Amino acid sequence: MNRAKCLATCSRVAFVASFVAVSFVPGAWAQAPTATTYAITHARIVTLAGPVIDDGTVVIKDGKIAAVGAAVEVPAGAQVIDAKGLQVSPGFFDAVTQMGLSEIGAVAATVDSSETGAINPDVVAATAVFPSTEHIPVTRAAGITEVLSVPGSGGFDSFGGRGLLAGQASAFHMAGWTMEDMQIKKSAAMVINWPTIVTESFDFATFSRKHKPFAEAKQDYDKQVNQLTDVLDTARHYAQAMGHGGPSDFERDVKLEALVPVVRGQLPVLVFADRARDIRNAVEFCDKQKLRMILAGGEEAYKVKDLLRSKDVPVILRPVLTYDREDDDPYDRLLTQPAELVAAGVKIAMASFDNSFARRLGQNAANAIAYGLSPEDGLKAVTLYPAQILGLSDQLGTLQVGKVANIIVTNGDPLDVTTEVKYLFIKGQLTSTDNRHKRLYEKYSNRPKS
Amino acid sequence: MKFHASRWCLLSCVTVFCLAAQFLAPSAFAQGGEPQYFAIRGAKVVPVSGPAIDDATVVVARGVILAVGGKDVAIPADALVIEGKGLIVYPGLFDAFTDVGMSSPPPAGQGEGGPRGGGQPAARGPEDRPGASPWRSAADEATLSDKRIESWRNAGFTTVVSAPKGGFFPGQAAVLDLAGERNGDLVVKTPVAIPVSLNPAGGFGSGFPDSKMGVLAYVHQVWLDVDWSTKAEATYDKNPKGVARPRYDRVNAALADALEDHALVLIPANSSLELRRALVLADRWKVPAAILGAQMAYEVAPELAAKKLPVILSAKWPEAEKDADPDDVPTLRELRFREKAPSSPAALAKAGVKFAFTSDGITSPADILKSVKKSIDAGLAPDAALRALTLTPAEIYGVADRTGSIEKGKIANLVVTDGDLFGEKTKIKMIFVDGKRFEIREPDRPKDPPKGDLTGKWTLKYSSPEGDEESTADLTMASDGTLSGTLTSKRGVATIISGYASAEKFNFLVNIPVQGNATDISFSGTFEKDTMKGTISVMSFSIDFTGTRPGSGNKSAEISLGGAK
Amino acid sequence: MRTASFVRIVLGFALSLLAMAFVHAATPPDASPVILIQNATVLTVTKGTIEHGSVLIKDGKIAEVGKDLKAPSGAQVIDGTGMFVTPGIIDCHSHIAVDGSVNEGSISVSSIANIAEVLDSDDISIFRDLAGGVTTANVLHGSANSIGGQTVVIKLRWGQTADKLPFEGALPGIKFALGENPKRSNFSVPGREKRYPASRMGVEETIRAAFTEARDYKNAWDAYNKKVAAGEKNLTAPRRDLRLDPLVEVLEGKRYVHSHCYREDEILMLLRVAKEFGFKVRTLQHVLEGYKVADELVAAGVGASTFSDWWAYKVEAYDAIPYNAALMTKRGVVVSINSDDAEEATHLNQEAAKTIRYGGLSHDEALKLVTINPAIQLGIDKRVGSIEVGKDADLVIYNHDPLSAYAVVQKTLIDGRVYFDRQQDIAGRPALEKEKKELLEKEKKAAKKSDDKKDEKKPGDKKPEDKKSEEKKKPEDMPKMPQADVNGGAL
Repeated sequence: MNRAKCLATCSRVAFVASFVAVSFVPGAWAQAPTATTYAITHARIVTLAGPVIDDGTVVIKDGKIAAVGAAVEVPAGAQVIDAKGLQVSPGFFDAVTQMGLSEIGAVAATVDSSETGAINPDVVAATAVFPSTEHIPVTRAAGITEVLSVPGSGGFDSFGGRGLLAGQASAFHMAGWTMEDMQIKKSAAMVINWPTIVTESFDFATFSRKHKPFAEAKQDYDKQVNQLTDVLDTARHYAQAMGHGGPSDFERDVKLEALVPVVRGQLPVLVFADRARDIRNAVEFCDKQKLRMILAGGEEAYKVKDLLRSKDVPVILRPVLTYDREDDDPYDRLLTQPAELVAAGVKIAMASFDNSFARRLGQNAANAIAYGLSPEDGLKAVTLYPAQILGLSDQLGTLQVGKVANIIVTNGDPLDVTTEVKYLFIKGQLTSTDNRHKRLYEKYSNRPKS
Repeated sequence: MKFHASRWCLLSCVTVFCLAAQFLAPSAFAQGGEPQYFAIRGAKVVPVSGPAIDDATVVVARGVILAVGGKDVAIPADALVIEGKGLIVYPGLFDAFTDVGMSSPPPAGQGEGGPRGGGQPAARGPEDRPGASPWRSAADEATLSDKRIESWRNAGFTTVVSAPKGGFFPGQAAVLDLAGERNGDLVVKTPVAIPVSLNPAGGFGSGFPDSKMGVLAYVHQVWLDVDWSTKAEATYDKNPKGVARPRYDRVNAALADALEDHALVLIPANSSLELRRALVLADRWKVPAAILGAQMAYEVAPELAAKKLPVILSAKWPEAEKDADPDDVPTLRELRFREKAPSSPAALAKAGVKFAFTSDGITSPADILKSVKKSIDAGLAPDAALRALTLTPAEIYGVADRTGSIEKGKIANLVVTDGDLFGEKTKIKMIFVDGKRFEIREPDRPKDPPKGDLTGKWTLKYSSPEGDEESTADLTMASDGTLSGTLTSKRGVATIISGYASAEKFNFLVNIPVQGNATDISFSGTFEKDTMKGTISVMSFSIDFTGTRPGSGNKSAEISLGGAK
Repeated sequence: MRTASFVRIVLGFALSLLAMAFVHAATPPDASPVILIQNATVLTVTKGTIEHGSVLIKDGKIAEVGKDLKAPSGAQVIDGTGMFVTPGIIDCHSHIAVDGSVNEGSISVSSIANIAEVLDSDDISIFRDLAGGVTTANVLHGSANSIGGQTVVIKLRWGQTADKLPFEGALPGIKFALGENPKRSNFSVPGREKRYPASRMGVEETIRAAFTEARDYKNAWDAYNKKVAAGEKNLTAPRRDLRLDPLVEVLEGKRYVHSHCYREDEILMLLRVAKEFGFKVRTLQHVLEGYKVADELVAAGVGASTFSDWWAYKVEAYDAIPYNAALMTKRGVVVSINSDDAEEATHLNQEAAKTIRYGGLSHDEALKLVTINPAIQLGIDKRVGSIEVGKDADLVIYNHDPLSAYAVVQKTLIDGRVYFDRQQDIAGRPALEKEKKELLEKEKKAAKKSDDKKDEKKPGDKKPEDKKSEEKKKPEDMPKMPQADVNGGAL
């Protein structure tokens, strides 16, 4: 990239950044709405909807992509970004995160990512997403323009509480003053944490190992599956009653009501399962219950890839940079899995399953490519495919006219670890990549020599 | 199991009535008024210390072997003559490490490591001496009331090395003979070994040491302290004026005394990693040592041989866990281990390591010989197997001058069989312990084949004077209906001493301390598929119980292991 | 250590309880042959990059580095066309290869515990990190205590016995820890009193008290040795204290201090205490706020070993920035990027590469963070850390520029021996799978045989069909290793 030009365009961004720093607006914000039309010119454009355009223009207008191509005119009044030497791609979609639900993992008071109790279908992530969280600007600086925030998705930030029906996951843009600005889909999926048969457990109270006979553990498991079945059956009756208007003394129930779109097949279920047996059971369960299943996790999805393909169950994979489950697993077991699943015809997306590590999303996709996934599928696994899996590909995932302009402009392969996001558009607005980390960096870079 | 204490006070006045006695599995009785002299004539004698003698005579007199040899051996006139045709006489078997003869099994939850919890303050360092009771002595704690003495003896074991349990330094081990009139009769030699445990007990946050490396450091510090305090005391005694008096430490004193008595420090080690580490530890600690366990010796036998450390070898081969998750596939390394472990004895023999077998937690003593047979199948010479069950343990523990082989003057510890010791169909006919004869009688019990397999984990429910309670019986049924296994209750885990199933009936007996007295408790009743019902009898008191076997398709509700509801 | 990975690690060790770490035929390669790596891009780290370069290995050492080296007769030639050769990755903060818990977490000064005594050569993490190009790791005690246990530098010689792992001649270390972990901010043990220290003030006093004691202990020994030398008799030697011995070694400069720390204030606290007692802190570990006090670190001559981009998992990591390594480097601190985690270690090259994006380090500067810099920090830079004649032939061959997420390790060499070869590993997998399958079958057959035997003798009330269905229900085998430890996990 031309250094002088870069400095020119960067300084504009820097001006806005300093404004923000001074006025202490934490986190999510959009550019002052002076320009509504942008043209990114002379860029290498990876549309993911056709061949790569080596030297082209993207026009953004009123939040949408207005034109993409090699011979596109720059509209009058458009703010022009000369992207010579840069690459334009769709922004990343991180399809499993706790974005906005957790600030500091170890501090319970800052964590809202899961409820207590097993059955909480009525809770909605969007309700508790903190628009000013420091995580949003930090994460979007790594090219993530939209996320799915998932309640009860496990990990440290959930404080162990997961629940069977953990609530509704919400999709939102990574910029905005309020959730209303940010929201893509308040209820994008119902979260089910598929129960597992646990014979070995670790008791934190005594820090000792506990062993349960398999038969006993299986009973616990069956109980949970029965509980899930019962709730869904009840919800189905409830939906029927609702459909008939219900008798006059029809008692409303918020939990069952939340499940109505699920049993009607309108809202997909995002089922967390990693072991092959659990995945198999979950798929059979959802098939029987006629639920639209999306698998999340899928460490052993390769063992049931034919089933996943035959039942059309898409998978949102946890990071390939995760320690292998079994000692006997090949060391690259998780790294090669995305390629193996795609070859088997399974639809995959890749997600961070995290909050502070969300910015490693691209790195994970690149590693999957290094171990056999095609570069195109690798990029789609963090853009188009999650959008498709969540039913949002009419708005997101590719650079096509009419889609929401969530776009990143990078100084190289957007997935690689050395690449920097130079410009970021969310909902068609040029959005700052400034964040807490950059500010601290600048502050202490300027500390006088002692 | 828990019964009301005051009830027990009343009951204990009543003569102990062992309801189950009539059902006891192979049972031997020391006959009253037996002669002090025996002669086994015309048997094959395998002395172990020398070649086998056919058509031989062994004379036992007042507890010792008076003579052994061919037909020319003179038989005293007042000796009870036993016709030995078709019989084989071996030295009594020697279990080289166990807790048989110790007062009571530790209560459930008290693991290998130190006694913890119970409001005891967490140790803050090695100076607090956590989990150390090396002054405890198996000789002092040996008790005839342990029913396993009888079951071990019935399986051919006349001699064991037993030690107290619990903690990193549980106490001193002694050689015990498994018969006597008073507890003191049991003791052959004490102390012979100082077992140590290297596994942290309570886990993170339970007080020092809570890690393996912490335990290693702790034990090392203790050995340093033992050495230091011995020297410091000697120096002080010579010239006490003007210097600070070294602090008396009971742990140091007990360990120093035991080492002076040539007790061996038993270093537990099973995996090749642990075994190699044990060799380092023996050097670092500067104590006479033996290795306890050595299941993976097949990988490191030559290294063990180079160090010349004796090995107390576990005969409890690793095997698949019974109630595990079928989807939890073991690692290749684990599978190789399970495959190769029984070849460890052969590897040790080949490398020239001195080794003896320990039952190492095998609960059914009849399984010990079966287990050793596996190592014979895996390449161990039968002679070497026999030696590792007789003379070698005696040598390792320094009692080969008095037991371990059939030699003139040695203690008359003998086992008489009707065939090769390791033969599948061989039966033990009689046993001599300290010259006392115990005959094995066929159990007095119904002979009908059992209607079904009782093997599995049973949840037993009953109402004691204190309310509803639950225990778990983990049963294994042999092909002839013999029952073995454990009973887990609030009092801990008890080994089933005897038991059988016949037709739809069953009976098993455990021995549990009640108010400090070892007490027989029998369970008898009938079973059908996955349910059982019957009576628990203890002394003259009995209560009804019901049992279910969850996990065999039985849809019983929640099960809590050994806990009252 | 980040607490997010705490869960990962706790889960990991919960799993590792199921079976100890084993895998793959772990036979070490034969004594080092003569190897010539040809026509590769050689990233020497200290002497620039050689395109189409060669590295000649003899007797485990780098014998020659250059453009057109000829293969001596009998040499094994590795074609490096399109490949990149770097020095072996050095992980300055690792918890792999430890048998049992990495924390003696019971006491605030656990210097008595020594990681070197519990090295586990069977830990599969050794192999996996080796497959990620790591050749040397600084294996540390956990961070539960103000003064933790003794530490050891190892080479990842997978397949060798535990006694062959330690890096010969590398100075041993001791772990210190400051802040939330030693003061137990994020967890407590139920039913136990809160342990001292519970504040950063107390952490300082814990360290000061320990070194005061160690100084007295050293004086007592010095006085005793002097008297012995003077021929005095009937003396009682001071009691040897395994807890104080390593602290005396620190005072004598014979043992390195590696201190876990986060916040700027606690970092400066430790440097002050070290000055007071006259010892040096060798490395600050994590040191996520090191960028705030970079000049002070330079002045103290202390190395900084940090994460690439971990943050927000606890309060003291809230000011963590991915620019930390770059900023400290620019201010003159010797910086390394470490893993603290067996998985993270498999891609330390990528983690180092992030400093190009966050802070603009050069390609060479970034690569130094996981090669020569950690070598300097561990005092082993004369032996490893760069591709120079005479150094140990610890090398990694990548198929791509290693400062990228697209680089895949093809071979890892230690002491001139190929300890990891990707193609060989892949080729060897079917045989291992077959062996495993056969062993499982064999066990199943044996189990069935003993069941059949039971059936023969036991005319129970069940028909053979019943028996069969019951067999199906029977759970399969499960690992049960000797001496499985209930402890584990790093904190």
